Amino acid sequence: MNSSAKLNSATLLLRAIVLFCFFSITCSSLLFAQNTTVSGTVSSATTTLPIEGATVMVKGTTTGVLTDPQGKFTINAAPGAALEISYIGYETQTVTPAGKAPLTVILKTAAAKDLNEIVVVGYGTQKRKDITGSVASVDLGAVKDVPAANPGRLLMGQVSGVAVKQLTGRPGQQMEIVVRGLSSLGAGSQPLYVVDGFPIGTSLDYAINPNDIENITILKDAVSSAIYGARGSNGVVLITTKSAKTGRKSLEFSANYGVQNIPDSRRTKVLTGEEFAQFKKDNFMDKIRYFQNREPGIDEVPLDYRYPEQTKTSTNWFNEILHNNAPFQNYNLTYSQGTQDYHSLFSVGYLKQDGVLKYTNFEQFSIHSNIEGKFNDFIRTGLNINGFYAINNVGPGTEGRDNLVGSTLLMDPRAPVYNADGTFNSYIGGHDGIFGFPNPVQLLKEQLNVVRVGQALANGFVELKFLKNFTFKTSVNALLRYSAQKQFTPSTISGENAPAPRDASESDNAYSTINISADQLLTYDKHFGLHQLNVLAGYTAQHETVRGLTGTGSQYPNDLTPFLGLAAIRSASSTEYGWSMNAAFGRVNYSYDDRYLFSATFRREGSSRFGENNKFANFPAVSAGWRIMNEKFMPKSGWLNDLKLRGSWGVTGNNNIGNYTQLAFMNNNNYILGNNLAQGYIVANLPNQELKWETSKQLDLGLDLLAFKNKFSFTAEYYKRVTDNMLLGVQVPAISGFTSYVANIGKVQNSGLEFSGSYRTNIGSVGFWSNANATMNRNKVLAIRGANDQILNGTFYGPYSISRVGRPIGMFYGYKVLGIFNSDQEIKNSPTQDGAVPGVYKYLDADGNGVISYDTKDMVEIGNPWPKLSYGLTLGADYKHFDISVLFNGATGFDVYREIEKSTMNMDGVFNVLEDSKNRWRSAQNPGNGRLAGTLTWKWERESNSRYVYKGDFLWFKNISLGYTFSKQRLPFKTFRIYGSIDNFLLFTKYPGANPEASVTGGGTYPGVDDETYPLSRTFTLGLKVNF
Amino acid sequence: MKTYLTIFSLSLMLLLQFSCKKDFLSKTDPTKVDQSLFYKDQTEIDQAIIGNYGLLQAVANNQWLFNEMVSDNTTFDFNPNDRGQADKMESFETWTYTAVNPNIATCYNLHYQNIYNINNTLYRMQNATLSDSLKKADEGQLKFMRAYLYFELVQYFGNVVVITQPLQQPSDAWNYSRKPVDSVYAQIESDLKAAASGLPARYSAANVGRATKGAALALLGKMYLTQKKYPEAVSTLSQVPALGYALATNYADVFNPVKKNGPESIFEIQYQGGNDLGEWSSFIYTFAPRLSKGFVTGFAQSNPGGWNTPTNDLINDYEANDNRKAASVGLDFVSPITGQVVPYIKKYQHPHTIYGRTDDDWPVLRYADVLLMLAEAINEKDGPTADAYTDLNLVRERAGLPDVSGLDQTAFRQKVFHERRVELAFENWRWFDLKRTMTADQLTAFLNAYGAREKATPTVPRQGIPSSPSDYQFQSFRALYPIPNNELIINKALGQNQGY
Repeated sequence: MNSSAKLNSATLLLRAIVLFCFFSITCSSLLFAQNTTVSGTVSSATTTLPIEGATVMVKGTTTGVLTDPQGKFTINAAPGAALEISYIGYETQTVTPAGKAPLTVILKTAAAKDLNEIVVVGYGTQKRKDITGSVASVDLGAVKDVPAANPGRLLMGQVSGVAVKQLTGRPGQQMEIVVRGLSSLGAGSQPLYVVDGFPIGTSLDYAINPNDIENITILKDAVSSAIYGARGSNGVVLITTKSAKTGRKSLEFSANYGVQNIPDSRRTKVLTGEEFAQFKKDNFMDKIRYFQNREPGIDEVPLDYRYPEQTKTSTNWFNEILHNNAPFQNYNLTYSQGTQDYHSLFSVGYLKQDGVLKYTNFEQFSIHSNIEGKFNDFIRTGLNINGFYAINNVGPGTEGRDNLVGSTLLMDPRAPVYNADGTFNSYIGGHDGIFGFPNPVQLLKEQLNVVRVGQALANGFVELKFLKNFTFKTSVNALLRYSAQKQFTPSTISGENAPAPRDASESDNAYSTINISADQLLTYDKHFGLHQLNVLAGYTAQHETVRGLTGTGSQYPNDLTPFLGLAAIRSASSTEYGWSMNAAFGRVNYSYDDRYLFSATFRREGSSRFGENNKFANFPAVSAGWRIMNEKFMPKSGWLNDLKLRGSWGVTGNNNIGNYTQLAFMNNNNYILGNNLAQGYIVANLPNQELKWETSKQLDLGLDLLAFKNKFSFTAEYYKRVTDNMLLGVQVPAISGFTSYVANIGKVQNSGLEFSGSYRTNIGSVGFWSNANATMNRNKVLAIRGANDQILNGTFYGPYSISRVGRPIGMFYGYKVLGIFNSDQEIKNSPTQDGAVPGVYKYLDADGNGVISYDTKDMVEIGNPWPKLSYGLTLGADYKHFDISVLFNGATGFDVYREIEKSTMNMDGVFNVLEDSKNRWRSAQNPGNGRLAGTLTWKWERESNSRYVYKGDFLWFKNISLGYTFSKQRLPFKTFRIYGSIDNFLLFTKYPGANPEASVTGGGTYPGVDDETYPLSRTFTLGLKVNF
Repeated sequence: MKTYLTIFSLSLMLLLQFSCKKDFLSKTDPTKVDQSLFYKDQTEIDQAIIGNYGLLQAVANNQWLFNEMVSDNTTFDFNPNDRGQADKMESFETWTYTAVNPNIATCYNLHYQNIYNINNTLYRMQNATLSDSLKKADEGQLKFMRAYLYFELVQYFGNVVVITQPLQQPSDAWNYSRKPVDSVYAQIESDLKAAASGLPARYSAANVGRATKGAALALLGKMYLTQKKYPEAVSTLSQVPALGYALATNYADVFNPVKKNGPESIFEIQYQGGNDLGEWSSFIYTFAPRLSKGFVTGFAQSNPGGWNTPTNDLINDYEANDNRKAASVGLDFVSPITGQVVPYIKKYQHPHTIYGRTDDDWPVLRYADVLLMLAEAINEKDGPTADAYTDLNLVRERAGLPDVSGLDQTAFRQKVFHERRVELAFENWRWFDLKRTMTADQLTAFLNAYGAREKATPTVPRQGIPSSPSDYQFQSFRALYPIPNNELIINKALGQNQGY
């Protein structure tokens, strides 16, 4: 009830804002001048046919018309005013009408890559042709119809060297983004996100509504990212939000509505009620057959599963938790206006995504505004605000075997969801040796877990131009964030093996964040003769403080009042943490004759996160480019239109190691003395005052070309990044009193090749375009602590991952399965596996000592979680009013450890099992498919072993979209486009799990472990976009 | 508009001045005390000592695995459905533990974490503002705890690293190697002697629970007994009675939280239930039969562990009319699956008000133990003298049993050994008693005899699932636990115990 009241007030607010916008438009469109009439025809250079629907604007004004089906237009313009003619897929042309004669405008097909495109780089912009680093800009047009709740989704499959993984289908969840491979074993590996020049950190969260993004560029190499110093190692994602264009006034509305479903092919198949009873019965009888060597009588079988054929109920628990046709809706309204002196843009957005799991959803209200004004020719100032409020009903824990999604595969399928009287059957299983679980539908419905986040991100700047070539820009950025989470588990919810009623419990927390930075930038820009020089000097300081309050409670009088005040037992705690940094930096770009390009950057940075002895460090980088095409010896009329070679080298850092790692603190540790509490302290950790940045040295060599009448662009790059002084929890002998401390130890190398290309052409009246990219990254540990050292993560019954010198980070590690023992004789003839019985896995005796030891001694590498090749392909076409685009992405040459099978193929009979279990080993005569162990014992089955490793290769047909654009002048719109799209359309893979990209821990040194996550939905959407 | 913009610009520029404070890059965790600023005075030194007592709770929580379940006293309530615990827990009962056993690693780490904190406090207190008398008592408590931890380590692992100073650099940890058992005992002896001279015999009511002179002497006596230094054991232990200890009238009172720290208590690990302070114990939830729900714990939502189950072997060892049996072992729970009685430990079963939070302390040293040790030491030194009989019979009388008399030295030894088993059952002394009273061959034969019985007729039926062939095959090397595998990966020079 509370949330719907809030929703109403939020909707009211939204309406008020919309009204306000309309009001502003009406007021601001009153200015007009004396005009003449200009007419003309627009046609295509490639097809020679007239172009319908091309936009003709009077430059510097908000006046514009569209061409009719014959390509004709008539427009009122001030005498001598220039006209700007644009159409999708063509280069925009500016013409100034001379006299009264009708104009003939022939539009050329747009180049596959615009060399004069202004690309956003760190603390500035550069023309595409002058760039000597590895800077990828994302073609947002190619993904415009993707229903994205998060900007990360727009990057999927779009940029070479940038791996974007959707680890879970949970609404509102951000993607995992890794630029050019994992280069850190101990510190974080997420890139730095910079929004409108403000480095907001390594998480984008919901900060930006994808609709408000003007462009995204990704800095991949050292010369482009070293200007971000100690935060540049993992790459930098620069997001620029929308701002108004001079001379344009526009009101744009877009709406997007869809439904989401889990296709049958992405649902894991487990046994039905009857099959499960049969499985239990077989399991019981097979044990007697083997261990007691006799045929059991039917009366010995427990009644619970004695007669499987009499099973009355069969519940598919996974299907029960799904919300079929879960709606997705997204609405955005953007108003912008720009005169010579003053630009403003204002947008509001609303997004609601119901989860494909019942009762989960994500709702977000966002605003974005941008104001920029020119005080005079020397002073310019502006303000950007991005704000949102999000309500995320995340529901109960969903990821992993111990949580909701995994548990639905395991619970007794013979139990009904509801009792005969319509109430929930609150305890599933829990008898006859079957694990007891809470009812997952009830859990979704009755357990409260809601996260509310409000955030404002603001940047303001003043820019002064002086002495002709100098510009000074000073800016302040602030991020204010409030987030609160409330969890309440009522007494009606059972636990694992603990039937309801139980104690109700609650946990509440609230965090507030303030993050402020200030930048001072001085630039000098000068052209003299063939020389072009651009110099930047800057200083920045930033600090962040987070404050939090947490409370928990249990023992409530009833379930009606989920508030801490009513709990009989309560506890509370509060926290505060933060960091600070400052840096001075500079950059010099020099080019000679548009042929030779040089760039150098330098940053000196200090941070609160590092030890007293290493407070500051330097990050230099240099690069050079050669635009061969502009050399005299290059033929100007051949197939090649542009060719550039470039190379860069530099040093960047990674400071994601937590705030106070270099210090040692005392932890509270109490005792009872004299029957009263006595408060005490113990030492929490070992200090390390020597702690400093991880440093990466990266070399990048690239080639950019443009060919075939600019229709084809291609970039190939080679990179090698060596990360040294890795921040790593180093294990120390326990006699030190601790098991590890953080130190700068270890070295990792990532090297790879990246290719990306685009092609754009018109055939007849059909326009085609495509973007493709491919990445091959190799990652190798060069040093850890000593020559023989290794990092082993995991536990004996979970998966192990191992990082060893000379090998990639985080390889799967376990016993190698050679087969399944079929007889006692075979066990006797093999290396000793104590306690083995027929039907268990036969393991490799890796150390060759004749004994498979029940520890890690016989374990070997059993899989590689890193793809050898990952790729993306986007294809599109336009025909008259129609446009279509399709998106593919995929990866090959990697393995996934399907951890959930430890439970879903647990043969003890405590859980339901996969359908595949019918092919298990049962006896020497009935050995099954030779891959799945039997039910006689647990030993030698569930240890980390190669049986659980699968090839992860996959190809996603990620999206297909089809649009239609109305462009009739008699409609009250400039443009009106409707479209439909299918997202997460088809997944091609041999991997048996639902999502080959799923990962329990989200990467690091423990990657690629699938423990069953929130499923990925297929989304069908319809949308419209109107420009008034 | 332009005016606003100007004002805005000017205020923006003013805002920029914030960033240039000198200590801008110095940040510390405001929620925690920095270690380098701690250990200044008696208040802080005492807080560090209390922190060390707190760590002993963690030691006591899992000690039953290494000291009781591994012995002939207890087994487990076999769970055919949850096999994940098999290797971690059951392997102690079946003597199949390996170097990757996570419980052994936790135990090893915890002992050295505790030792580090003791060493660090002893080191840092040299520069604190303290009076000499306070310093002696502080050092006494710390050294008693350090001795207790090393006494455990040396019996668990044999040769171990002896470290008595905090490390100056983490890398120094590689410079330490394992020391022979004798030098570990020498360290324990010197700590306990210092503790016995520095500690008071009694504390004020507010400080009950701290280590006393009696605790130091009792532990020192136990160490001498372990080393078979009988004259030293006798002279040390015989100082204890004079400190005012007496047997509780009623055996069950020794474990009753309502009467905790009673006249018999020499040193016990303190816990407190019934509140939110986080200092509760929960032993009975680990020990009660797996399917007993609230039958034993008193809370219906319980899902007990079924560990440390008294063996038939022990239950049958009680003499008729021994009133300790009823106070020690519960025999009233019948498994709903097998229809057979599943025994459980009663010593830590007491009413409590909040689910999962019991008030039971863990007894470490008590007067009955001292009396039995004295009887044993005197017998070994001089044969069964009158003093030896007095001490033994005091314990027997309290148990409602007739006095013994007229035994020869061997019979007396056997009698004391039996008495120790039943008197101190489930108090984590059985494994050490077995090890110190038998030779390697005797121990192997003794345990394998017990193992054969338990394997043939398990105390708790295994529901048709047989034990592994290698279960219950005790080999003498298993008298020592393996050094955790991870420690050897980190520092190969450490060396593994023979056999692993």
